[in-house]
Amino acid sequence: MFNLNNPRFVGWSNYRTIITDPGFPRLLWNTFVWIACSVAFQFLFGLILALLLAKPFPGRGLYMGLVFYPWALSGFAIGLLWSWLLNGQFGIVNDILMRLGLIKVPIGFLSDERFAMFSVILVNVWYGIPFFAIMILAAIQSIPNELYEAAQIDGAGLFRKLFYVTLPYIRPTIYSTILLRIIWVMNFPDIIYGMTRGGPAGATNILSVNMINIVYYRNNFGLASALGMIITAILLVFAIIYLVLLERGEFEL
Amino acid sequence: MKKLAIVSLVLLFCVVGLSEQVTLRIIQVFTSPLRTRVLEDIISKFEAQNPGVKIELISPPYETAYQKIYLMVSAEEPLDIVEVGDWSLSALASMGKLLSLEPYLAKSELTKHLVPGVLEAARTYKGTAYLLPNAIYVKTLFYRPDVISKYGIKPPAKTMDELLEHCRQLTKPEIGQFGFDFRGKGYPTAFIDIVMTSFFDDIDPNCMYLKKDGTLIFEDPRALEGLKFYIELFKTAPKDSINWGFDEQVNSFASGITPYLFQDPDTVGLLNEIMKEGTYKTAPLPIGKGGKAYPTIGFAGWGITSYSKHKDLAWKFLEFFNSPEINAYWCRDYGALPVDMRVYEIDPYFKSEIFYGWTAMFEDEVHYQFTKYPLDNEAWSEWNELHETTMQQVLLGKMKPEEALKVWADFWKKAGLGKK
Repeated sequence: MFNLNNPRFVGWSNYRTIITDPGFPRLLWNTFVWIACSVAFQFLFGLILALLLAKPFPGRGLYMGLVFYPWALSGFAIGLLWSWLLNGQFGIVNDILMRLGLIKVPIGFLSDERFAMFSVILVNVWYGIPFFAIMILAAIQSIPNELYEAAQIDGAGLFRKLFYVTLPYIRPTIYSTILLRIIWVMNFPDIIYGMTRGGPAGATNILSVNMINIVYYRNNFGLASALGMIITAILLVFAIIYLVLLERGEFEL
Repeated sequence: MKKLAIVSLVLLFCVVGLSEQVTLRIIQVFTSPLRTRVLEDIISKFEAQNPGVKIELISPPYETAYQKIYLMVSAEEPLDIVEVGDWSLSALASMGKLLSLEPYLAKSELTKHLVPGVLEAARTYKGTAYLLPNAIYVKTLFYRPDVISKYGIKPPAKTMDELLEHCRQLTKPEIGQFGFDFRGKGYPTAFIDIVMTSFFDDIDPNCMYLKKDGTLIFEDPRALEGLKFYIELFKTAPKDSINWGFDEQVNSFASGITPYLFQDPDTVGLLNEIMKEGTYKTAPLPIGKGGKAYPTIGFAGWGITSYSKHKDLAWKFLEFFNSPEINAYWCRDYGALPVDMRVYEIDPYFKSEIFYGWTAMFEDEVHYQFTKYPLDNEAWSEWNELHETTMQQVLLGKMKPEEALKVWADFWKKAGLGKK
């Protein structure tokens, strides 16, 4: 690993610098919270959306176009857009909440440590729901109608149909989509970078954002590369889980 | 037959003519639509004066511009002229890919007319000029007389104490009115330092973080006083501003939410586009308890790559860019201060009222002592990240000011600054 300003071999020094940094445990924790909350809520709302869109209703095409729209935008642009929407002074979100009488003073969504991580996750959830919805919807539409008819004859209600027909049938899609999303969300600094750059005071700093900050502020490509390798190593764990599940046939119907 | 010969001859001339075309590749850093438009216009003027020369402008987004430059020059990709800002000069020059401009400067007529201190600033790295500054930046106090006077206050504030007092009187969160236009991210270093050093009267003219006796300012009780003052000033700003950079600051000032702002002259160009004439003014930076204020001269300019195949032509462009007429045009539209003394004579714009803040500071040597950042220190870029994060922790009450000062002192001692 080298520094462009002074290229030389430094051995494991960059890895040591990252791991022994007092802020490293917090970075890992933030990354975990970011992935766990983002993926869990993206899945939950994606599933609900897919179930709602599974049956035809008037204007479904238009509705689908609207809800899938965020997925077509760039993550960085979304980050910048939401940084203005959630701005404590000029943001439209605060304005609406105040007009509705829900709050008296503006909330510092991105400047208050208590809200910053919540806000970036919220935007990421909004951004990622369409992907889950598209994947799950495609899987739901492939479920043979006979299964539902058989369940109906056996007297199954709405929830029984969901838990005994729909979810088991689309399980392979759910597994593979969740694993893919974990990998993508971990590697996805765009929204956080556009909204907070990891601040305030590191409250929203995750591994991939920190990697950009190292290059942006310090121009230290060696240190950033080492962090990149650490991220790759963590992702490797998920890749192995994916391969093991694949091997066990968990992704097959 | 005769016709054919003439056509062939014309074609031959065309081919020869085309093959003689030289292309210069330029990369800019501080990209913005307004700035790119002016730059493209200057480039086309140069091309018109130099037939056979074509200039290709590369305009990456500001956030990634330096990374692109580092990668391009380290791989010696075709690039002749590189924009360099003062805070990145040493990092780029130390890569050994920038050409020393000293031989050109020694022969150039331009050198005699540069604003005092500009060339010295360009020689930040190892005493050699690796760039020719084309504009200078000094922070001053911007204020909104219309907003401030509504609260029965007579602007501008002349001292830091007065500034805090004014800002406290202006701050009424219930109606969305605040005093100070704060900056919490994107290099807030210069803003903190203006306030903190104003508590001193013995700052080293060659390094802002050292006192004249060579010791670090961070271990002096006055630094703690200055830092605590900065925290008080933050209380007169919207809490959200801990997450603000340049864009949010300018927006907040233009909308009147925060009518007191410290900023560089390039803000003038932007404010002139979005605000009515006379709705904002500039004044010298308020002086602090030390009886002084310590501004720094920032600069940006053009460097030439050491591996360029058209070094002389590149220098010709640099000279053209810094000629009084072009420099006046560049600084006027973009809003920076010219580097050529002659510009201040030929263009009355730079003597207009909006530049009062700067001219007053330049003329008052008793209260305004210009100083420098340790830009040639390798730790400089790392400092900006540390300074921003620790300062945010202080403002959020997660770190005591004393702890932050200790972290800063230890950082600079490790980087070899000050007596150990």
